[in-house]
Amino acid sequence: MFIKHSKATVKSATVILLVAILMIIGICEQSVKADSTIFQQDITPFLKQYCYHCHGVEKQKADVNFQTLPPNTEIYKDRDLWELVRDLLLEDEMPPSKSDQPSAEDRQRIIELIGQELDQFDCDAISNPGRVTIRRLNRAEYDNTIRDLMGVDFHPADDFPLDEVGYGFDNIGDVLSLSPILMEKYLNAAESVVTNALLAELPPWPPSRQHQVEKFTADQDDIVRAEGSVMGFYREGNALKKLLIEQTGEYKISVRAHGQQAGPDHAKLELAFGDDDKYVIDVDAFADRPKVYAIQTTLSKGTLNLKLSYLNNYNVQDHPIAELNGDRNLFVDYVEIKGPINVQPPSLPVTHSRVIPGQPEPGEEVAYAREILSPFVKRAYRRPATEDELDRLTDLVEYAMVQKATFEKSMQVAIQAVLTSPHFLFRWELDPTDKQGDDTRALNDFELASRLSYFLWSSMPDDELLNLAEAGLLRDDDVLSYQVERMLQDPKSDALVTNFAGQWLQFRSLDTVTPDPAKYPSFTPALRDAMLKESELFFTEIMRSNRELTDFLDADFTYLNETLANHYGIEGVHGDTFQRVSLDASSRRGGVLTQGSILTLTSNPTRTSPVLRGKWILEQILGTPPPPPPPDVPMLEETQEAALSGSLRERLEQHRSKPDCATCHEKMDPIGFAFENFNAVGQWRDLDAGFQIDPAGTLPDGTQFEGATDLIAELKTRDTFVHSVIEKMLTFALGRGLEYYDQCTTESIFKKLTDNHLKFQALVKAVVLSNPFQLRNQEGNES
Amino acid sequence: MKNMQPWTRRNFLRGLGTALALPALESVYPQKALAAGPNSEFPLRTAFMFVPNGMHMPDWTPRNTGSYFELPKILSSFEHVKRDLLILSGLTHDKGRGNGDGAGDHARSAGVFLTGVQPLKSEGAEIRAGVSADQVIAKAIGHQTRFASLELGAETGRQSGKCDSGYSCAYSNNISWRDEATPMTKEVNPKLVFERFFGNQIPSEESESQARRKLFRQSILDFVLEDARRLEKQVSYRDKQKLNEYLTAVREIEQRIERADLEKQDRPDYLTEFETPEGIPSSYEEHIKLLGDLMILSFQADVTRVGTFMLANEGSNRSYRHIGVNEGHHSLSHHQNDPGKLAKISEINEFHARQVAYMIQKMKSIPEGDGTLLDHSMIVYGAGISDGNRHNNENLPIMIAGQGNGLIRTGRHLSYEFETPMANLLLSMIQGMGAKADRFGDSTGLLRGLNG
Repeated sequence: MFIKHSKATVKSATVILLVAILMIIGICEQSVKADSTIFQQDITPFLKQYCYHCHGVEKQKADVNFQTLPPNTEIYKDRDLWELVRDLLLEDEMPPSKSDQPSAEDRQRIIELIGQELDQFDCDAISNPGRVTIRRLNRAEYDNTIRDLMGVDFHPADDFPLDEVGYGFDNIGDVLSLSPILMEKYLNAAESVVTNALLAELPPWPPSRQHQVEKFTADQDDIVRAEGSVMGFYREGNALKKLLIEQTGEYKISVRAHGQQAGPDHAKLELAFGDDDKYVIDVDAFADRPKVYAIQTTLSKGTLNLKLSYLNNYNVQDHPIAELNGDRNLFVDYVEIKGPINVQPPSLPVTHSRVIPGQPEPGEEVAYAREILSPFVKRAYRRPATEDELDRLTDLVEYAMVQKATFEKSMQVAIQAVLTSPHFLFRWELDPTDKQGDDTRALNDFELASRLSYFLWSSMPDDELLNLAEAGLLRDDDVLSYQVERMLQDPKSDALVTNFAGQWLQFRSLDTVTPDPAKYPSFTPALRDAMLKESELFFTEIMRSNRELTDFLDADFTYLNETLANHYGIEGVHGDTFQRVSLDASSRRGGVLTQGSILTLTSNPTRTSPVLRGKWILEQILGTPPPPPPPDVPMLEETQEAALSGSLRERLEQHRSKPDCATCHEKMDPIGFAFENFNAVGQWRDLDAGFQIDPAGTLPDGTQFEGATDLIAELKTRDTFVHSVIEKMLTFALGRGLEYYDQCTTESIFKKLTDNHLKFQALVKAVVLSNPFQLRNQEGNES
Repeated sequence: MKNMQPWTRRNFLRGLGTALALPALESVYPQKALAAGPNSEFPLRTAFMFVPNGMHMPDWTPRNTGSYFELPKILSSFEHVKRDLLILSGLTHDKGRGNGDGAGDHARSAGVFLTGVQPLKSEGAEIRAGVSADQVIAKAIGHQTRFASLELGAETGRQSGKCDSGYSCAYSNNISWRDEATPMTKEVNPKLVFERFFGNQIPSEESESQARRKLFRQSILDFVLEDARRLEKQVSYRDKQKLNEYLTAVREIEQRIERADLEKQDRPDYLTEFETPEGIPSSYEEHIKLLGDLMILSFQADVTRVGTFMLANEGSNRSYRHIGVNEGHHSLSHHQNDPGKLAKISEINEFHARQVAYMIQKMKSIPEGDGTLLDHSMIVYGAGISDGNRHNNENLPIMIAGQGNGLIRTGRHLSYEFETPMANLLLSMIQGMGAKADRFGDSTGLLRGLNG
């Protein structure tokens, strides 16, 4: 109580709050109620009589020993074990059939006591935020993080192996492993990412082009002619070339030439760019060492008539001064046109300049690398870089440059290292090594920013979150609430739809269902895509428009395109574009349970499966999964002959009459049957195999319903639905399975939610503000 | 130098200690057979191929034991390689049973298949099986080839939801376990297998010399290893385990880069002629065939000597329309002895076996010295469940193809005593491949009679 009170009044005084929490944890650890009487008086005698001989001091089958449990054992602390004990008792699997059996009443009594004891703990006493194992970025997170970090969106993770699923989600730290093949793919992906995003060398600027003069046109073949790779001018004559100038501006024109010198003067070369734009070059170079001569001029856009002329031929063989005898000729190699030279270089690709915005002066590369790596590493590691990290990274840049790589290439190497580092690939929450003896610590602002962004965006924090973290402003309830709202409005929160909703409602699995094409020819790839899109858009509206959670079950709108509307028999929707459609009672639809996606993925390929549908609703919607069937379970007949012998419902009811099956099927089947009016691909029908469908039924608690609409209205009123959504979302947000102590958190979230009319965003905020989301246990406290 | 000694019976006994029952010693491997030993001319390869949901046993088990037996229906496509098969009846994976862990037979049967260890029941809090036989072998001999092992699968994992009650999907989707907490992720896309094992997968290769690229990659690996080492001092328990996965993976890549230097640059014809796969074929049959071809290719080119191949994930409910089975495999496997369903299961089993038979025939068509690639291989094929309806783990459907450099006397059907551990076969293969192990999983000794 005290915790709640202080939270409400001293909102921003987080330090005080934290101290208060820590004090209370310390006090309460000693004051846990030791109400051990039930375990000691009722459960222990039962265990002694039926269990000790296999699970006791003598034998510890399955590593279970009940005999050494202390009399004050609090069984809720080992929830997994005792839930298993309860389930095995429930399923008559234990004690094994060859052993002594308790009476049915005795068995039932112990089952109930265990259930009671499991719920028997005091939230004021237990305050354990749990401990999340470091999480490797999963495929979606890797792609999104690369997208937001580098600005390249090309899904490198498509080639990665699938991430394993635990507790229904693929972002569970303990389950996300890293095999050598994945490491190899990370290395290759990092290389692809940098080559896609960054230039390895800058293009030469200004642009220049060399033109080989021997390819020019001579106006008199016998005077001017190509000699190998040069053009020889043997008497006064011209070589001509039309060139295209793309842009008006100042150009630098270089000519490589030499003379076969003779007479008093050097060979003279005239470059003409037009009638009144001529330059004469005194070519003083000899054949053994041609020179490059350059002039600068303005060229206009359009065709340039370039003319090279030899101006001063000289051929004297009878001069009295011997030195003046000789034949002067001119040889020109190439003309290079470079420019325009007085304009700004074109901008580099955005992905390049956001990481490497400029070009360092020679000799300053390493210092510059450090300057630009610091902000980059902060984003990549989602916390400021340490000096040591920057030292080692700049060493890497320097090393690459010593290997004669360009500065840009060297940066590529360093950034590949960042993208392959464990600091990038995992989300670390490192506990201080000098911790002060407290079990629990608040996450630092950067850790919190990452938790938030990977929860809502499946991606890295953006600059706003990182800046808030840096300023130490993130850990404030109002700031967090505002950030949640902002983040949910951002298109990046589509990730919450595909990753959270797609796994909670399982519509991600839609692409693996295979309805029998002979029976359901209308189930085309386009229809499958439309079904998925409907569910995604539906979830998106509830999320962004902050609707009530109960809308998931019963909403008066959905999103359809023509294909899907035709499939549903709803008129007035045209074209491939999805539009929001209002639903009335006549549509017989509303909420996820009547959407094609869910109805299809809870069916068998050849028929509906009321059992699967019932089980799906119990698991995903009500959060009360039925225990699995015993292995030797009779399955439903589905041959033609069987179909003739009665409706599916009658056949299932026969099956249910067996006591082994009754307990669970009494829960699953009526729920599933309520949806029998929807066939295996979600179309409405009145008859099944010629039999009138009867969707009415009774829940185990006696509640009666007429059909799907009626049942949905009933499910809506149940707290178990809200609890189920809370548990799923908390699991996804934390990346770990829920433990017994999390029940306090889900209870308090439930209270907040009911105070806020079950609004979707209230749920997200309550999760974000919860202790397990904001704190962490520093000890490996798991039992 | 010690391990260069010839493989004598005395050495063998010493290595095994006293736990071994004597009759097993009758089949101690002959000197010639020692996998990577100094006397073997061709390296010994091994692969473990897995199918889910059990087998229709009456159509799998030959009626007679010994050398004179007829191939039952499921195995009929092995007609041409019948003399290369050793069918083993009666093997058991006790650790695949509930043993107090309750439901989840499917997940367990895959988790135990190559480990012989009871998988820890967990949806994720702590994934734990055992090191699998292929990985024990890979650790011992993997350094001799560019890749220590190859893991293939023709079915991707589930994208959402649960795989089997109380067990993380990691158990149902993997049979190869690098250490007890890390499954070896399998590759599903033939294109990626090809690029990784044989191709030039590196972008911008032409823009930069091989040598410099390698140098840079090495320095990147050094850098990240240093990151990981510094982190090691700051993390505890589970986080440390994850960091170890990272360290191991990076070191393995480093070793591979070093090994790549030792390889010849010339590509043999069969490799240059192999058409680069384009991706995952839409036909399941083509998909299996292509992955099988790649495994054979990697054995032929001696890029690796150890492989695993899951034809489908455990509990898979895929339908087999192309052979006229529209129902899901898992639903069908709960057949209640319905003749119609049994027939369909048998069809699925036969389909899978046909794909394996194709591979075995192909291996037999590749000459190596006086023999064939198949002669220098041991290919295990089978399931972790016997009857899909009962989910029982005794009398598993298991066979070996290939004489394994003389380790295996093929052309026979052997029937073992009830409850003989499957782990005994795995232990025999581990030793046969040249890895040191005295026991494996719940093994009680070596498997008698493999060599006749």
